[in-house]
Order: sequence, then C-alpha cells, then structure tokens
Amino acid sequence: MLSRILCSSVFQKVIMAVTGLSLIIFVITHLSGNITLYFPDGTPFNKYADFLASLGWLLYAAEIGLVATFLLHIATAIQLKMSNSKARPVGYKVYQSKGGPSKANLSSRFMIVSGIALLGFLVLHIWQFKYGPGIEQGYVVDIDGKQVRDLHRLVIETFQNPLYVAIYVISMVLLGFHLRHGFWSAFQSLGMRNPALHSALYKLAFVLAVLISLGFLGIPVWIYLNSTGVAS
Amino acid sequence: MSTLNSKVPSGDLKNKWDSHKANLKLVNPNNKRKHTVIVVGTGLAGASAAASLAELGYNVLNFCVQDSARRAHSIAAQGGINASKNYPNDGDSVWRLFYDTIKGGDFRAREANVYRLAQVSANIIDQCVAQGVPFAREYGGALANRSFGGAQLSRTFYARGQTGQQLLLGAYQALMKNTSTGKVKMFSRREMLDLVLVDGKARGIIARNLVTGQLEKYAADAVCIATGGYGRVYFLSTNAFNSNATAAWRCYKRGAYFANPCYVQIHPTCIPVSGHYQSKLTLMSESLRNDGRVWVPKRKEDTKKDPNTIAESERYYYLEERYPSFGNLVPRDVASRNAKDVCDQGLGVGASGQAVYLDFRDAIRRDSEKVIREKYGNLFDMYKQITGEDPYKVPMKIYPAVHYTMGGLWVDYNLMTTIPGLYALGESNFSDHGANRLGASALMQGLADGYFVIPYTIGDYIASEKFKPVTTDSPEFFEAEKNVRANINKLMDVGSRGKKTVIEFYKELGQLTWDKVGMSRNAEGLKFAINRYQELREDFWSNLKLTGTSEEYNKYLELAGRVADFLELGELMARDALHREESCGGHFREESQTAEGEAKRNDKDFCYVAAWEYKGANQEPSLHKEDLSFENVKLSERSYK
Amino acid sequence: MNLTLQVWRQENATKEGRFVTYKADDISPDMSFLEMLDLVNERLIKAGERPIEFESDCREGICGSCGCVINGQAHGPLRGVTTCQLHMRSFKDGDTIVIEPFRAKAFPIIKDLVVDRGSFDRIIQSGGYVTVKTGPQPDGNATPIGKDVADKAMDAAACIGCGACVAACPNASAALFTSAKVAHMSYLPQGQVEAHKRVVNMIARHDAEGFGNCTNIGECHAACPKEISIQHIAIMKKEYICAAANYEPEIQRSEGAI
Repeated sequence: MLSRILCSSVFQKVIMAVTGLSLIIFVITHLSGNITLYFPDGTPFNKYADFLASLGWLLYAAEIGLVATFLLHIATAIQLKMSNSKARPVGYKVYQSKGGPSKANLSSRFMIVSGIALLGFLVLHIWQFKYGPGIEQGYVVDIDGKQVRDLHRLVIETFQNPLYVAIYVISMVLLGFHLRHGFWSAFQSLGMRNPALHSALYKLAFVLAVLISLGFLGIPVWIYLNSTGVAS
Repeated sequence: MSTLNSKVPSGDLKNKWDSHKANLKLVNPNNKRKHTVIVVGTGLAGASAAASLAELGYNVLNFCVQDSARRAHSIAAQGGINASKNYPNDGDSVWRLFYDTIKGGDFRAREANVYRLAQVSANIIDQCVAQGVPFAREYGGALANRSFGGAQLSRTFYARGQTGQQLLLGAYQALMKNTSTGKVKMFSRREMLDLVLVDGKARGIIARNLVTGQLEKYAADAVCIATGGYGRVYFLSTNAFNSNATAAWRCYKRGAYFANPCYVQIHPTCIPVSGHYQSKLTLMSESLRNDGRVWVPKRKEDTKKDPNTIAESERYYYLEERYPSFGNLVPRDVASRNAKDVCDQGLGVGASGQAVYLDFRDAIRRDSEKVIREKYGNLFDMYKQITGEDPYKVPMKIYPAVHYTMGGLWVDYNLMTTIPGLYALGESNFSDHGANRLGASALMQGLADGYFVIPYTIGDYIASEKFKPVTTDSPEFFEAEKNVRANINKLMDVGSRGKKTVIEFYKELGQLTWDKVGMSRNAEGLKFAINRYQELREDFWSNLKLTGTSEEYNKYLELAGRVADFLELGELMARDALHREESCGGHFREESQTAEGEAKRNDKDFCYVAAWEYKGANQEPSLHKEDLSFENVKLSERSYK
Repeated sequence: MNLTLQVWRQENATKEGRFVTYKADDISPDMSFLEMLDLVNERLIKAGERPIEFESDCREGICGSCGCVINGQAHGPLRGVTTCQLHMRSFKDGDTIVIEPFRAKAFPIIKDLVVDRGSFDRIIQSGGYVTVKTGPQPDGNATPIGKDVADKAMDAAACIGCGACVAACPNASAALFTSAKVAHMSYLPQGQVEAHKRVVNMIARHDAEGFGNCTNIGECHAACPKEISIQHIAIMKKEYICAAANYEPEIQRSEGAI
C-alpha cells in the first residue's frame, strides 16, 4: 500500500511539484544575489560571493540539499517521461491542440526539452564559475583587507564572449518557458482546487517566469553591451 | 396454454404487492450462491437487476452489445423520473401516480402492475440518492421537482437534462462494484442470438462475441431479458443505432408470447429528417411546448417562404385552434397525429414538407431572449448544432418521431414470460404503460423492475423449481448453437452474392413501417404492409449484400441479423394493429375515430392484452387474450378539447 | 462537397495498420460526420470491399461510444461535441480529412477506428461507486445537499466515458476521466466513508492499465465533449494526498483492485 502510493502517478507529480517549487525558491534567491552584477562596482557581488563561501559546512549542507533536489526532480521527470512515452506506443499522424481551455503551448508541451537543456546549462554554469579560476589563478581582490576570489572579474571576462552571452540568454529564455508551466503546474499537482486561485496562479506564473528570465538574461547582455560601449 | 395467467394476487389493490411479497418463497442464502442468473442488457432495468441479484448472492452473467455496460440507451433519457414523494406538498400520492399512469395509458395496462410501480417509485429515488446520483436540489438542500406532460403535479425528479445518464451510471456503478467482487461476470460486446430451453424452461443463451465472431454458450437457472424496445424497426427513431429487438424476438420464436406489438409511442418534438442519408432522429425535450407555439402556414404557397415574413393572419396555430383548453400542451399522441394531419394536407414546411414550426417569437417578446435562453439554452444550442439554424431568430422545425415501444414480451405479475424461468424487464416487456407512456415514466419502470421487483419474484421461481444440472454440453445447447450458426452462414452466403446493402433494406423496412404502421393506421394499409413485409423478407434473403467474414468484427453482419428479425417483427406489429379495431393511446385506427377526428376506444371489444404466440416460420401467429379488469378506476374517455 | 479521407485501417489487434485514402464525393454539409462515414461504407460494400469499422450508438452525444481523432483533434475541430454531433458543414469542399483511432496503450485497437476502452470500466470497478445494497434507504431528503454542491457534483458526473481525454492528452493519461468520478463522489455526503480507499485504488488501477501521467497540459479539458474542467484533476490530487496522509493499513486490507 505504501509503495503503491509512493510509485503512483499522483505522488510522482507531488515530488515534481515539491522539488520544483524548492528550486524556484533557490532560483529567486540566486537572482536576488546576482542583482549586484548590474552595479558597475564589483565589490558588492564579490562580497556576496565571499559571504556564501564563508558559510563553510552550512554551504556544503545547502549544496547537498540542492543537488539532491535537482537529482530527484530530474530522475522523477525522466521516469515520468518514459512511462508517458510507453502510454502511447503508436503516435498520431496529425496532432493539433483544440485551444480554448487547453494549456498546451511550447512551455507545457516541451518541459522535458527545456529541462534537459537547462541541465546542460547547469553543468556549463557550474564548471565555468564554481569550478572556474580562483585565487590561485590570480582572480583575487582585496575587500576590507581580506583577500577574496574576484568572481566579478571572471563574470565580466566570460561575458565578453558573444557565444557565452548567447548560450546564457537562450538558457534563461528556456528557464522562463520551464517556469511558465512549472510554477502553475506544481500547484495543480498539489491539489489546489480553488478555481479563483487556479486562474490567478496561471497568470502569476507568467509574470514570475518573465521576471526571472529577464532578470537573469539581462546580466550577460548588460555586461556585454557595457564592455562594447553600446551602453554607457 | 390458451389462457394467460397473469398471477395477479387477489385482495385489495393497495395490499396486493405487500401480501404477494409475503407469500413468495425464499431461497436460503447458502443456496443462492449455487444458482446462476443470466441478465441480457445493461440499461436501467438490466444493470439494476444484475447488481441487485448479485448482492443477494446469485451468480450473475451479464451481457451487452456495447463495449461497456454504461452505453445502454437508457443513458439518453433527458427529462426525469416520476415518483410519488409528494415533496412539493401538492397533493401527490401513490394513488394519483397510479391513476395518471393508467389513464395516460388509455386504460390498456394491468391495474395491479401499475399500482405496484407507483408504490415502489419513492424507493427508487431513495436508492439512487444513496448511490450518489446528483439529482437537482433546491437551495435549502432538498430534492427539486418539476412538472411533466400528462400530470397536474410536480413529481418529476431530474439531474439537469441528463437524468437517464445519471440514473444509469448509478446502476452501472453498482454493477461494476459487483463485477469487482466477481459476483457479476460482465460480457460486453456479446449479442444474444438464441435462448436455450431445457425441458421447456429457460436454461441458457447462445451469444456471439462481436469482436471474434465466435459463438459462445452460457448456462444458467433463469434468464432475464432487459434489452429495451423495438423502435428501430422504423429505422429512423430516437433510439440508438444498436438498439434492437433480436434477443426478445428469439425468445418469441422459442415460445414466449409477444404482447401489444402495435403500441408505439411517437414523440411530437423531434428534429425533422433532413435528408436520405439520415441515420437517426434527435429528440427535443417536450418541455419546449410550454413556451413555443406550433403552427404551419395557412396556404400551401407559403410553405417554402421564410417563416418570419408570413403574417400573423396567414399562420395556422392548429393545436390552439383545435384544442382551445390544452392548446400546445396536448399529450404526445394527440400532438403527433395533428402534425401528421396538417402535413398530409400539404401544409408541412421545410425541404421535405414533413415538418411544422415551433415558434418562440412570442415567448421571446414576452419574457426576453435571456429568460428563454436560461430555460432552454442547451436545447437551442443542440438544435443549432444539428440544423445550422438559430432558433432564437428562425422558428424551429419539428416533426414526430418514434420514441418508445409500449409493447413487448408478455409477462405476468412476477415479470415472467410464458416460458418458465424467462423474465422480461423494462421496455422489453409490455407491462406498465398500456397503450401510451407518460413522460418520465420509462426510467421509473426500468428501475422498479430491476431494483424492486425481480429480486423478490425470481427467488420464488428458483425456490419452487427442481433444477436438474445443465451444462453447455447438453444437446439443447448444441442444437441452438447449430441453428444460430446456420442463420449466420446463410446471411454470409446470401451476402456474398446479393446486391442490396443492409442499410438499403433497413431503410425500406423503416419507411414501410412508418407509412403503414406509424402514427395512423387503416385496414387497407396494414394488409398491404403484411404482404410487403413478406416480399421484403424474400428479397432480403436472396439479394442481401455483405462483405467481410463472420469470424471477425463485422458491424454490418450484426445489423443484418437484426434487420432480418425486424422484418418479421414488423409483420407482427401490422397484424396486431389490424386486429385491434379501435384507437387507443399510440395506436390510431382511422376507422375508429369520433366525428371530430379524435381517437375512439372500444372498451367493449378490446379491453384486453393481445399476446401473440409464434407458430413457425411464415405461419400466422395465434392470438391469446388477457382480459383487463378495472376494479378500482372507471374507464373514461380522454378529451383535451 | 467532395472530400479526400485518409483513414486508419487495421484488421485486428495483432495485424499492423496503415492509412488508406478514399474519395468521399457528393457529401451534404448537413450530414453528420458519422453519416458521411456511413455513406462511404455503403459505397465500399457495393464495391465488394470491407467497410470502415467505427463505433457509434446513440448518435446524440451522450452514450460515449463514438470517437475518433479527426485531423489531429479528438472528436474533430469543434469544442463540446462528440464525433456524432460534428456536421460536415465544419469542413470545406476539397478538404483532406485524416481519421485515426484514439491512440493509447490502454485502448488497444480492435479494428480500424474501434478501440477497447475496457480499462475505463476497470477503473470504475476499482472504486468508482458507493457501496450500497438495493433495499430500503434513508429518505432522499434525509441528508440535505446544497444546490451549489449538487451542481458541482453534476458538472463532474456529466462525463460520458468516451475516452477523448486520453486521446487528446499528449501523455495518454486518463486523469480527467478518473478525476471526474472521484470529484463527483467527493462532493456528495454519500460514500464518504470509502473516500480514501476509492481514490487510492482508482489511481492505482489507472496506472496499472498503462495510462500516462497527467502533466497539467489541459488538452483533455479542450477535447472533452462535456467540457469537464481540469480543476477536477486538482480535486482528485487533493483527495489523494489527504488519503495518503491518513493512510491506515489495518482498514485497507480488503482491497478489490489489483
């Protein structure tokens, strides 16, 4: 009985919803820290990065939690996708949405695509910044008499490359698409039955997705434009 | 077996059912599980019977032709279900429901059966509420009622316009529950093609698996037929595409009497036929006549004109003129006959000339479009969907269509046919509606039979019989299977050489029945029809065209078997109509009408049930009469002037 | 009207299917879609060919028998109707119409456009009922049910079990069908004692039948001929989560399903 519940289609979507909402909270936190990259001065951002690094075991604990959440989200998604593919072994020759109340759109139909792309982005992002050059490679700055990693310089340098800017912009657009369906869908999966909330949350999801997406993708664009002198 | 024993218990009408129940023999719970009952059909009567019998402990084998029990045509009933609850405090009682039903049936039903129906009607509502049927409610939480044709009280319970659906799903769910415990074995996509008799008692059926085409044999201790009516003999009717009389007809050919086949109800408000390709007719609820006005143009020249351009003085509101006191609200049979009458005079409208207007112009002027939309919005939408015309702007076109058959297998008070162990429930029997059924009474009868009558009466039979063990290996099963196989092989054999498709025969049969055994009948036409049915049968059995094989899913082979039976049933209807030289309810004989052209009953000569016995292929059936005695009501003439 | 049909033909469950092209000439716009197929079949039979098998019964949109995917849309282009209520005036002269069966692992094809929807029956068998014997019941008015509640229950109970939700769902999930019954029962006081067992068993049966998972796309709602909302799916999920939270093994021993 217990295993039946845990393996059920409903419970798997509960896992997706809970992990997804947790990741949205992480993304919002991440964005609020990264807002400092819009400042011309690198100090606030480096201070913020140093603060995170100084958390020590707390950071590790948070990172383990985050990784676990990601893995659970991804593993469940893959499992759901596989069982969904099995549910229709022969596909349609023609398939089109009926519109109206349907929420079928690029966002909802291609969650797995945007999700996998974001996973690829995540690897690149972590490799570039978390495991990128640090104090030993000379990316160092003095803040209030303390030698800290100059992550700000790394960010600025990275986004001199238009290829990276493009990758980041595309990825953040995909994040927007992922959240546009994901945020609202999570509440539906958790059994939010109030019809008024239902449509309110669907609209809120759009606003949230646009804000988060623009907030993030603005950073590389801003840095790139600043460095090429288009923006003053 | 020349006299029919209706087994109606003696005593006061009010106590008959109670005293009968007290006298019925009981089956010990341990013994119930040793008995198997076959139920054919999963509509309101079949599903409720199968579920109730399984709960009692019998093993039930339940069959339906559709892919699921939930698709039976009871699902299409719109209006509601009557019950003598008297919730609105308007003076309803068992007696009043009984009286309205027996009067509505033009005094051609058995008093005791109808009284029992009225008695158990209240239990049906309680039962359905307990099952979770979402009946319409008042704001305070009490059950809501509305009024319906033929009654001066509000006693109809409803679930929007889908009452039949909700009641059927309630019974279906009860059936599914018993399927999950194994007490009911469900056989969907099976068509019963013969009844098996052992020692003169019903002991099993032969069914065709409609997916594989294989014939299957099933043995039991009793068989219940709940396969609905035979309205599809008209091809065009409001009945479902798969509705058929085959199971009942095969029982008739095995010796069960068929009663009152000429009683057919024609519903006045249906969407008219629009073309030769049409496969079925759609009912528009009777309630529309509360606000719509029925008319045709006064002059033949105007029948093709835009109705909105025809002046008030040029319109013939024939119901209002002919029946000043009831007007547009005359009962179904009267409204239908008058529509036919004006169309026969050449005043019919529409492309075919077979339609009359149902106009909401005045109601919209009086109450506003909004009010009308609230009342009938879904019906107007449905009309527009089918016809492509907007009934808020253009008057609806309507015409009568076959809707329900009051005739059916003859049954006694216990619902047993003349074959021991063979029962008939719901529309497939003849019992409760006489010559005309009132609105919202079909659902009541189906559920009454299934939930509250058969569970008691079948026990009496099972307790009193000595059942010799019968398996599907007994010679009677082989003989029946052989006959069925021969019939199918003959169809396929003819089908490989013939030229005319099943549908062509079906339409020809339907047109003949509609023209000659339809809304109004006369001796000449009926005699013509009897001959014509025989000719059609000959043509059918030599010129039918079929493709495919009998060993696979083959819808047209199924249809062919049903049409073959309808070709025989049509003749019996015509014979019954010919012999009944009176007009009553749905049966209107032109020879028997008053000076004003109204139906004239003949109680002296025809106050009986006509039960027909099969005498062999192409032999005349023999007639048995069950006299109807009315001890509690006075036979009166129906007048709606 | 003259039309070209591309129809999925499949002899039986085990044989492979393929698309066959037919000409459908002289079609009246007032015909229903099924009547158009009837006519094509008449011509096929006359020509000695096997007709296109499709399912239909009431032909007025309530029995749930009919249904195919027409140009990629379950029950065709209109909303709130079944295939039998679709009329040819929704198409244009010269159109090509692709007609496919409802496709899902849990709806195996029987022949051509006919599929086996027995899985729906089995989902209902696993709990979609109120356990009540036939016999004397409390008076229908003994338990008041507010009009709004009765109306909401009716919204959910309007499901006709046609399977369009499964056909339209990109994941072939039957969440809308299952939730319609769960939601109907959840509104009413009758059958509340079985509520937890009902929802857990019905969803277990849904999954075991091989239906996909609901990813809240809502295409089912758009395809549903009775326009049943996906809010019922949320209701089902809420019921399920409550049932799982209140899970008590000792009262769950006698399960019917699986």
